[in-house]
Amino acid sequence: MSDVILEARRLRKQFGGLAAVDDVSLSIKRGSVHSIIGPNGAGKTTLFNLLTGTYKPTAGQVFFKGEDITHVPLHRRAHLGLGRSFQITNIFPNLTVLENVRLAAQAMSEVNFHLLRRADHFKSFIERAQQVLEWVGLADMAGLPATVLPHGGKRKLELAILLAPDPEVLLLDEPTAGMASEQVPELMATIQEVRRQGNKTIVLVEHNMNVVMNISDIITVMNLGKLLAEGTPAEVSANRTVQAVYLGELYTHTEG
Amino acid sequence: MANESRLASWRRVVQENAPYLAIVIFLIVFPHLVGWITGDSPFGVGGRPRGQSVFWQSVLIEVFILTILTMSYNLIFGFTGVISFGHALFFGLGGYILGGALELVGLSPEVGLLAGVAVGVIVCGVLGFAMGLVTLRLRGVYFAIFTLAIAEMFFIYFGRLPLTNAEDGFSLNALPDLINPTRNRLTYYYLTLFFVVLTFVFIRRLMHSPTGKVMLAIRENEGRAQTIGFNTLRYKLLAISLSAMMASGAGMLHVILNKKVGPEILGVTYTVDPLLMTIIGGVGTFSGPIVGAAGLHLSERVLNRQFVIGPLTIDVGQNWSLILGLIFVLVVLVFPKGIIGTWTQWRTRRRSSIG
Ligand SMILES: Nc1ncnc2c1ncn2[C@@H]1O[C@H](COP(=O)(O)OP(=O)(O)OP(=O)(O)O)[C@@H](O)[C@H]1O
Ligand SMILES: [Mg+2]
Repeated sequence: MSDVILEARRLRKQFGGLAAVDDVSLSIKRGSVHSIIGPNGAGKTTLFNLLTGTYKPTAGQVFFKGEDITHVPLHRRAHLGLGRSFQITNIFPNLTVLENVRLAAQAMSEVNFHLLRRADHFKSFIERAQQVLEWVGLADMAGLPATVLPHGGKRKLELAILLAPDPEVLLLDEPTAGMASEQVPELMATIQEVRRQGNKTIVLVEHNMNVVMNISDIITVMNLGKLLAEGTPAEVSANRTVQAVYLGELYTHTEG
Repeated sequence: MANESRLASWRRVVQENAPYLAIVIFLIVFPHLVGWITGDSPFGVGGRPRGQSVFWQSVLIEVFILTILTMSYNLIFGFTGVISFGHALFFGLGGYILGGALELVGLSPEVGLLAGVAVGVIVCGVLGFAMGLVTLRLRGVYFAIFTLAIAEMFFIYFGRLPLTNAEDGFSLNALPDLINPTRNRLTYYYLTLFFVVLTFVFIRRLMHSPTGKVMLAIRENEGRAQTIGFNTLRYKLLAISLSAMMASGAGMLHVILNKKVGPEILGVTYTVDPLLMTIIGGVGTFSGPIVGAAGLHLSERVLNRQFVIGPLTIDVGQNWSLILGLIFVLVVLVFPKGIIGTWTQWRTRRRSSIG
């Protein structure tokens, strides 16, 4: 069992009459790339929100390294090693690109309650932020306010904020959403590189099937809040139900 | 070698802060300047606190006090993104506690002063913390509404409390000579100026520290700040406590200046004024509160008389709220980010379009 790093047990999230996540159990293996796919509104983002602590579940539990973290607050989960990026860009708009990432690097440290020392006195966070900005290709925009970045740049910043604290498990919610397609391979290569170097676990929500089929060890398919299927990329793409509910629709879309 | 670099770093500090230093030096010589121009000594005329210099000292002391109050408000509203509608609570309570220590407890003036300041600052800091603790876990406007309610409660309570003479309040007579503004107006002027500088330097220092950076992050996007691992409640509580302490200090300076404590210092004016002054000067800027407080208070004092335009007589003093409203609307239309905020934005734009 010790190779499971993150686990959902019978998770459920109710919004009024709608069960956005309905009795979902899921085991993420340490070091794997585990993708979660499914049509719009399937409950993928809600599942992320439950795993990282943005939402409290209506029922069910979340385990991290065998420990029940269902009631551990959002900010503590970050310290345990859970990091996530957002489908809808979620940055600090009026701070500089560098400061956005520097803050994320600072968050894991003990210096947060220095009231009178200058923040740039703590060089390691700035260096870490610059390093991460190099990786994602934003180094030459470090001094700009984050809000003026073009959409693709904001997506890269979103990823940089996730990478800066060096989390063990990276939950990526559609990292390439709305990005120009020629930028996608580069971004995915960065993610792969980070993973290989640090032996990270990646949980990926993504609509781009080329990306998903290439990168994943395991794929979980969701529909209407429920688990539909789980398996290797080959197994999932051969699954009839999955084809009917999601892949078929998706492929006809791209063809048509 | 080390000395040299220390000298160089001092020179850099002086260069970077040249405009601020110039303003402080001007304010230091100002009472003497007015005295020299008008012939009224800055120490008063005929042994009494009279004359042009003393009058303008009082006006500026009021500006200084409002500046401290506004800077404290800006710390939570402008830098941390927490809205309070009850800042008068800390201002007024600070004043009442100091006044009580001086007049009602029977201590000697010196001991009363020290005890009043210490107790007032601590009580306000703890009260701010407690109010934040019960409401800030909730999202949205709960904290703002709660502060408004508590401030109004205290306003009504002290307006009826026999011990503090209900709505008439009580006057402060047992002041130590050194800070007695009737005996020693000029000293009091320099004392309040000193506290303005201290508050300004402290807030700027704080906002450049790792802690201040987290406060900015909370203002910008609290949810993300939590996701990357900050316990944002702690930082908001810290900001509110510090802000409440500063506001209580401003209230203390205010009651000493007026030598009177009454429920009006808990009134909504001392919530609305810092709010408007922050917005007009520039939310989340360092010098905005100074510009806002000085701009509004000086225009109130300078315009406070009757204007006769043809058949129309306008009494600015009586209609000050109306005029304040108009000024506010105008400034917000012309300077959407406040005077300093819009100016900074304009300057950076111009620079980046040239460079
Ligand atoms: N905070 C909320 N309040 C009410 N309903 C919500 C909330 N968040 C999500 N939902 C609903 O829950 C369902 C699942 O939404 P979710 O965002 O998890 O889907 P998703 O799989 O991420 O979809 P997409 O691919 O479009 O991102 C949707 O019907 C959505 O409208
Ligand atoms: Mg989603």
